[in-house]
Amino acid sequence: MVTLDTSAIIDKTPPPAATGIRTSRGYRVFQVVNTVILLGVVVVTLYPIVNIVARSFSGDGYIRSGKVNLWPRGFNLTTYKAVMTNAMFWTDYRNTVVYTVVATVVAMVLTTCYAYVLSKKDLRGRGVLVGVAVFTMFFSGGLIPNYVLVTTLGLKNSVWAIALPNAISVFNLLVMKAFFEGLPQELEEAAAIDGLSTYGTLWRVVLPLSKAVLATMVLFYAVSFWNSWFTAFLYMDHSDLMPVTVYLRNLIAGATNATSVGFSEADATAVGANIQAVTIVLTTLPILVVYPFVQRYFVSGVTLGAVKG
Amino acid sequence: MNNISRRSMLLSLGATLGAATLGLTGCSSDGGDDKKGSDLSKNRADAMDKFGVGDQFKATSPVTFTTLLNDNPGYPEKSNWLFWTELAKRTNVTLKPTVVPLSDYENKRSVIIGAGDAPFLIPKTYPGQEAPFVASGAILAVSDYVDLLPNYRDKVAKWNLQGDVDTVLQDDGKYYVLPGLHQDVWIDYTFAIRSDILDQLGLQMPKTLDDLHNALKAMKAAHPDRYPMTDRWSQPTPGGAMLQTFGQAFGAGYGGGWGYANATYDGGSDKFVLTGAMDQYKAMIDYTRTLVAEKLLDPESFTQSDDQANAKFTSGKSFVISTNAQELVNTYRPGLAKTDPNAKVVKMPVPVGPAGEVKVGLRLENGLMISKKARDSKDFVALMQFVDWLFYSDEGQIFAKWGVENVTYTRDAAGNFKLTKDVDYVGLNPTASKKLNADFGFSNGNFAYGGSTQLLESTFSEEEKQFQAIMTARKTLPVPPPHPLNADEQEQFALWEAPLKDYVQQQTLKFILGERPMSQWDSFKSELKGKNGDQYLSLINGAYDRYKSKKNGSDKS
Repeated sequence: MVTLDTSAIIDKTPPPAATGIRTSRGYRVFQVVNTVILLGVVVVTLYPIVNIVARSFSGDGYIRSGKVNLWPRGFNLTTYKAVMTNAMFWTDYRNTVVYTVVATVVAMVLTTCYAYVLSKKDLRGRGVLVGVAVFTMFFSGGLIPNYVLVTTLGLKNSVWAIALPNAISVFNLLVMKAFFEGLPQELEEAAAIDGLSTYGTLWRVVLPLSKAVLATMVLFYAVSFWNSWFTAFLYMDHSDLMPVTVYLRNLIAGATNATSVGFSEADATAVGANIQAVTIVLTTLPILVVYPFVQRYFVSGVTLGAVKG
Repeated sequence: MNNISRRSMLLSLGATLGAATLGLTGCSSDGGDDKKGSDLSKNRADAMDKFGVGDQFKATSPVTFTTLLNDNPGYPEKSNWLFWTELAKRTNVTLKPTVVPLSDYENKRSVIIGAGDAPFLIPKTYPGQEAPFVASGAILAVSDYVDLLPNYRDKVAKWNLQGDVDTVLQDDGKYYVLPGLHQDVWIDYTFAIRSDILDQLGLQMPKTLDDLHNALKAMKAAHPDRYPMTDRWSQPTPGGAMLQTFGQAFGAGYGGGWGYANATYDGGSDKFVLTGAMDQYKAMIDYTRTLVAEKLLDPESFTQSDDQANAKFTSGKSFVISTNAQELVNTYRPGLAKTDPNAKVVKMPVPVGPAGEVKVGLRLENGLMISKKARDSKDFVALMQFVDWLFYSDEGQIFAKWGVENVTYTRDAAGNFKLTKDVDYVGLNPTASKKLNADFGFSNGNFAYGGSTQLLESTFSEEEKQFQAIMTARKTLPVPPPHPLNADEQEQFALWEAPLKDYVQQQTLKFILGERPMSQWDSFKSELKGKNGDQYLSLINGAYDRYKSKKNGSDKS
């Protein structure tokens, strides 16, 4: 699974010691120690990824006997071919893309609107609106009532079962609200004098100034929808509606359960460790590829609202 | 009389009144057959008038039933499986599956049962897993309707399974899961041993625990630098397979490891006793401790991952490891073939201990729950007949496992099954292009399990059949009597069960690894009391006494 790693933030630390200026001995020692520690972190972070990639190119027998570490053994591409010709994998992959895009769009629209409203200090009933949102951070209806609700609304087996119940993440909402509060009130007043409506102000003045926070939110939402599996697992009744995360989870659990808990004979069909590895690589790849490009915004975005002027 | 049954039926509709309903119907069913709350006249649509053992079930008009389906990644569900179409052709029943990934099957099952959204059929339910749903009233007490299941009753009677089936009874005297039935106890787990090393050292295949001990000693003498035995299946239960095997050989109920249960029935005193405090359990610990102390058994056996253990075995660093039929063929042999082409590894017959040539185990397999709301369907009788045919008739079981004759399999005059040329299953036909389960939907864990020993062994290799022949010859011990708990007891039980079990397993490990001397055995026994061991036992024995007196009462009437 993809996790947001903190190295992105560390990267941004200003480069120490401009060339030509003598640095103190203590500082150089610190640099060395710092580098060593950070290299250690990098190794620890990278090892599992490299290992999975190596596994994905290795033969199943080598993996099972624990011989694959950083370099593939029994190099082959047949597993990639096998997984990539599996129709169910692509169906579920497409589902993931569709769910992620739809859910992220819905979430962005709703979160932005809600946050913008909440950022207006003179709004009557603002406290209540904030309270309603924050309440859900601490209390939820519970699994079964939620299930009954979604089912009765007829959302089951559709993308809305995934997009609507998770449309607003309160944490993201509060970050966005803080950002909007930080924008100069005068800009909006000027826009109003120039004849812009509320929505016009939001669309033409506020949002163009909020690219950093928007990119961050898109990233937050997209990664969480891409990685999420439970909602889909709960509300989808057919395997061709599942996202690829459920497919992957089932693949891995199938392989571990079947051999360790004494399943009935028909179930003792283990899935090759190499197939698991390939599926993991293919599932994580898009996020890994997109990440560096969004990271720029992300780094400036996460600290938003941390210091408020 | 009829009024009473109508009322209890109506009441049973209110799911929230579940608990009250159980009480009511429980009372009304204690009497004779005529009080079973079973006026089925409105539920006979599409059912066969006469359906008995040997009859092919076919609904009188096409009908659709919903079912939960545990989706195995080894053979993900496909809507064009021959299983679905052929089933509809033979029985007029179309099954509409709600497909749930195997990884989280239990989760979704609880949610949709809790939400009242469950399909009619809920397969892959292991005995005991139904207990949490009983009080909710969402699950049908199938024991009230076994009259509709001629094949099921036939197999229970023919194979003398009543004792096994009684173990799924709930406190109301009914059961809520239709278990899969095995003709005989099926032993799959034992040890894999390097027979080429045995030959090198001039040793016989070990038959008893002492033989095994001696063989390990001889291996150690020849290879002093390594542990002759290292074991797997240690997570989450340390010594899962090994202690189960050892414990059963010493006569400690279902053994330690996976088989461990806090209470074991003692036939002599007609009472349940604490397994962890039994002399037989102590003997098991003693034996395993000796293996560790003599450096015959790798102490890491109880903590390492399966992969680590497998790697040691397949690289030739150890010679004995726990196995089942699948792992022998899928893991050990291919792994060893790469490192040592001369290596031979076979399944050792389960070593015999002081308990003698016996085997213990339930002959129940995972089974089927049926939604309570199915009872109100006009097709209820047809549903039950369908279930009986598919899961319990010989034809249904052959169909679910082997498929369609001349399409997926052929059968010779002696009744032996053979896959057709282009169909493979568990490597029986390795060159075939299609898979019996993935491409056709047969031998699917949701629908194909249990059955006669002949059917079970029909997919086994010759080698595995020989192993099974040895195990079949051993005497099957009777199953312990049931001790159904009521709801209050169940809660209390749950509070005591896990801590007690954890403590026993923890201390078992300490004794085995030599971190605790055996001289402390008596203090260990008294520590069990501190973990509510005595209360735990009196709870179970109380439930057992209640069961006995109820049973005697109903036998007399």
